[in-house]
Amino acid sequence: MKAGLEIHQQLSTGKLFCDCPSELSDETQGTFVRRLHAVVGETGTQDQAARLQSGRGLRYRYEVSPNSCLVEADEEPPHGLNPKALGVVLTLSELLHAHVIDEVQIMRKTVVDGSNTSGFQRTALIAVDGEISVNGKRFTIPSICLEEDAARKVGDAPGEVQYRLDRLGIPLLEIATGPEISSGEEARDVAEALGALLRATRKVKRGLGTIREDLNVSIEGGARVEIKGVQELRAIPEFVENEVGRQTLLLELREKLRSHGASVPTTPPVDVSEVFRTTTSRGVKDALAKGGRVLALPLPGFSGLLGTSKTGPERLGRELADYARATGVGGILHSDELPAYGVTPQEVEAVRSRLGLGGKEQDAYVLVAAAAGPAERAIEAVRARAREALRGVPEETRDPVLEGRTRYSRPLPGRHRMYPETDIPPIPIDARLLQELHLHLPERPEETLARLTSKVGLAPDVARKLVREGEVEVFDRLVASGHPVPLVARLLTTELPALEAGLPAPIAESDEARVRLLEPVLQAIGSGRFAKEGLGRVLTLHFQERRDLDSAIAAAGLSALSAEELQGMAKKVVEANVGLLRERGASAFQPLMGDLMASVRGRRDGKEVAEVLRRAVQERLGALGGDGKSP
Amino acid sequence: MSGPAPAQAATPGDSAQDPYDRLRHLPLGTHVALRHPSGRRLAGWLLPPDSLSSARVVKLKLPSGYNIGVRIEPGTTFEVLPGPPFGAEATDAAPGNGQGAPRPAEDPIAGTVALLTTGGTIASRIDYTTGGVHPVKEPGNLEALYPGITSGGPIHVRSVAEILSEDMTPAVWTRLAEEVVRELHRGVRGVVVAMGTDTLAYTAAALAFQLRDLTGPVVLVGAQRSIDRPSSDGVDNILGAVRVARQADLGEVVVVMHATPSDEQLAIHRGTRVRKMHSTRRDAFRTLNGRPLGMLVGEELRLESGHRPRGTGPARAEAGFSDAGELVWMYPGLSASTAEACATRARGIILAGTGMGHLAADHLPWIRRATERGVVVGMATQCLEGEVDPFVYSRGRELLQAGVAFLGDISPETAFVKLQWALARSTDPSVVRRLLVDDLCGEFGPARGLGTKKSAPDAGKEGIA
Ligand SMILES: [Zn+2]
Repeated sequence: MKAGLEIHQQLSTGKLFCDCPSELSDETQGTFVRRLHAVVGETGTQDQAARLQSGRGLRYRYEVSPNSCLVEADEEPPHGLNPKALGVVLTLSELLHAHVIDEVQIMRKTVVDGSNTSGFQRTALIAVDGEISVNGKRFTIPSICLEEDAARKVGDAPGEVQYRLDRLGIPLLEIATGPEISSGEEARDVAEALGALLRATRKVKRGLGTIREDLNVSIEGGARVEIKGVQELRAIPEFVENEVGRQTLLLELREKLRSHGASVPTTPPVDVSEVFRTTTSRGVKDALAKGGRVLALPLPGFSGLLGTSKTGPERLGRELADYARATGVGGILHSDELPAYGVTPQEVEAVRSRLGLGGKEQDAYVLVAAAAGPAERAIEAVRARAREALRGVPEETRDPVLEGRTRYSRPLPGRHRMYPETDIPPIPIDARLLQELHLHLPERPEETLARLTSKVGLAPDVARKLVREGEVEVFDRLVASGHPVPLVARLLTTELPALEAGLPAPIAESDEARVRLLEPVLQAIGSGRFAKEGLGRVLTLHFQERRDLDSAIAAAGLSALSAEELQGMAKKVVEANVGLLRERGASAFQPLMGDLMASVRGRRDGKEVAEVLRRAVQERLGALGGDGKSP
Repeated sequence: MSGPAPAQAATPGDSAQDPYDRLRHLPLGTHVALRHPSGRRLAGWLLPPDSLSSARVVKLKLPSGYNIGVRIEPGTTFEVLPGPPFGAEATDAAPGNGQGAPRPAEDPIAGTVALLTTGGTIASRIDYTTGGVHPVKEPGNLEALYPGITSGGPIHVRSVAEILSEDMTPAVWTRLAEEVVRELHRGVRGVVVAMGTDTLAYTAAALAFQLRDLTGPVVLVGAQRSIDRPSSDGVDNILGAVRVARQADLGEVVVVMHATPSDEQLAIHRGTRVRKMHSTRRDAFRTLNGRPLGMLVGEELRLESGHRPRGTGPARAEAGFSDAGELVWMYPGLSASTAEACATRARGIILAGTGMGHLAADHLPWIRRATERGVVVGMATQCLEGEVDPFVYSRGRELLQAGVAFLGDISPETAFVKLQWALARSTDPSVVRRLLVDDLCGEFGPARGLGTKKSAPDAGKEGIA
């Protein structure tokens, strides 16, 4: 097998073609509705995928977010390319030893599923011919692009798809690897290495959905299949392996189809609505009640090869159904799984005889029940997919579904869907700027690890975690403003990840904003307003329950515990455990300490608490006479 | 197919051998491989140069579809690769051919809508290899650009001009009026005029003053967002304009454009009262001082009372414009001598005054001199919303005494177009002045209440904050 990766990473530099911020938001300031139309591209041809989409005649409703302006609404031309975002891509190109293009041309990539208000995604090729080494193996980086992210899909209604404008226009840095990846694990490792390099620029967004991987997989004799938008690194191996399995199965099916002498007819589908006039099959009945049709397509030689739910997760029947669904119908019925779903054996026989398949055991058929137009489009999609089955694996784009499985979404877009963005002049890349960037490249991940362990003195696993979580910039800044290294490390590798795992989104996406939010918390510890043991509790109250810092500290019961109160509490604990003290002497210290810490709840430093307790124990032991027993 | 041509090494300094010059003389679309002196190789198809490119940059279309600019060093070498030029290998069929062809009609005219094009991109195709824009003439091509445009009946397309909106002239206004009358005499249901939006409102006013006894709507239409984008408002606008031309009981000149940022909500504006109020937004066109004449929401066409219905005809044109009028914007600091210079060759002047129609006192003497010479002077407000009133402040009364005609709530641009038209009707200042102040085709607004300020009646539900 061969696989390649395309990594899309959101940048935290603000949007690509306007001055709106990169941060998402849930507030809505009204909506508007649009339709999109296929346009004729540069070469006088329309993109096939684009034409299919616009043929469905959907309306798109857009929710206007506070971080959007007339550019996102496609009511104003794009402003100039965000120089900060360009700087990040150029820096990354240098880190990947790539050649930067002399003069960048923004392109429009036709996308008419509504996810871009304009009907295209703006994208530009920035650099070519880079490389990266992972586990001692060299992988080529044929292209590094800068593009705008699409609008966020928030809903689906009949005939209408809903999007939010908040994500639209966020810069996406796209890195494509060559097809040199030879296993799912390798794909994950390359993705991880590229992710670390991206975070080394310290200008990337964090959180679920801010980095997305497209996987290009093909096997010997198969075809290039693009799996779009895998969000979790650890899921990559499973997706790759399942796709290899799917393509293998399709090649096996091709051989069986050939040996069965299978063929796909060119004759029009047969209207078998009559057969189902009194059917009890719910889907068919509903379609007919709405004035629809049942169309049938015979598939000679396909019988037994379409599969049923018992034959496994991947089967030809499902591929045919996915193609039909992409035209807008609910699904198909095929002969391998019939009679079922309320379709009776009599109806099955009647369809067979209408199609002239009586007695031809090897012949299958497909049924679509829907309004006349959609049913016809769906049957034609099934016919096209069945033809591909005789050839093997079709090139296509697939979407991830559950458990590492994917589903057909659309044909691979052709290059005819790219044409120039005429609203933005070409952007020359200054050679001096590149030299300047080259001299000030950020620390590479391996350099960061070395510095954090040898110079800063962090344990290797803590250092690795900081690099992996992309928190090095935040760490460096907090340490530079004088906070103790162990405390900052604990905050960023333990307390904050635990907190953010329970939040719908990170406390802040950009490093600057994170530092701004965390700095006061550390200051409060530094000035003794609460002890570091209370950090986790304060973070939860402050960031999850959204209290201001003062009331978070107060609510945690961390603010007012004087030395006298601590001594009093220590004495109380000692008195309550006099029996234990008698029995175990000084070695009763540990269980007592546990009790005391529980009631102090982080309001004083642990060392101090231990000191006070030790004194109280000694005093009481003295009063008991002697040391007591000592192990 | 021949093998690759041998690499054509270039000697630095030899201008005849400069690879940049040699590349520039290859046919566009040639498949070439460029090799930078550093060894980097890039292959693609040659594209036309971009006028905004830096020096010695050649544009390439890469196999991935991306366009890039490559600086050609004196030491760059290149070879011409075999294979078809760019575009020739395209396999996707051109869309729309044969589909939805015009419905064959018994009578080729009954039910037909005439579409007059003037060269805006709304009825043009863009040729990306040459950058050229060509008017659409074939109904088949029109159907490819605007699927469904011929579903209600045939469209008769004629190119009246091939100019940008900003290059529009009164001569074209005249020609358009004559063509509209010709089409209506042929029996079409209505006429659509497609043009760029910059001067669309001027053209609308110009047609409104020229055309009389219209037997069907004359609908001006354009696209605020370029027609080469899938999101262009042009599709809805032109489909809506054709629908209005075919179905609406209107005997006047109107503009049909988006009422809101949403598709499927179009406003029908009276041609003399509409103004482009935003440089880019879809809902840029607004009826000043009132509501639009009607709305087209989805397939539902609604007309407000007060519109002029289709006449019995025959339609006629009082076509033609003078060039003896001027439009002067009265701003603080404008010197009287500069303003008067405008009056020396003019037979008429529209003043765009401040507020209710005011200007600085030092202008009064030249205005008096001008009106005494027989120059017709009209006053409109640069506020755009609201009307002029000479009686509230003393300056208004002084202007009235100086012979200035106050022109109600008409916009300065519409007043100016009307002046140019009126000056072409007569050389007698009193006749010109009469034409200027009379309501000829609904250019002066009806009484306004506080509730009628908003121009798009249904704009409230959906909209950009
Ligand atoms: Zn914006």
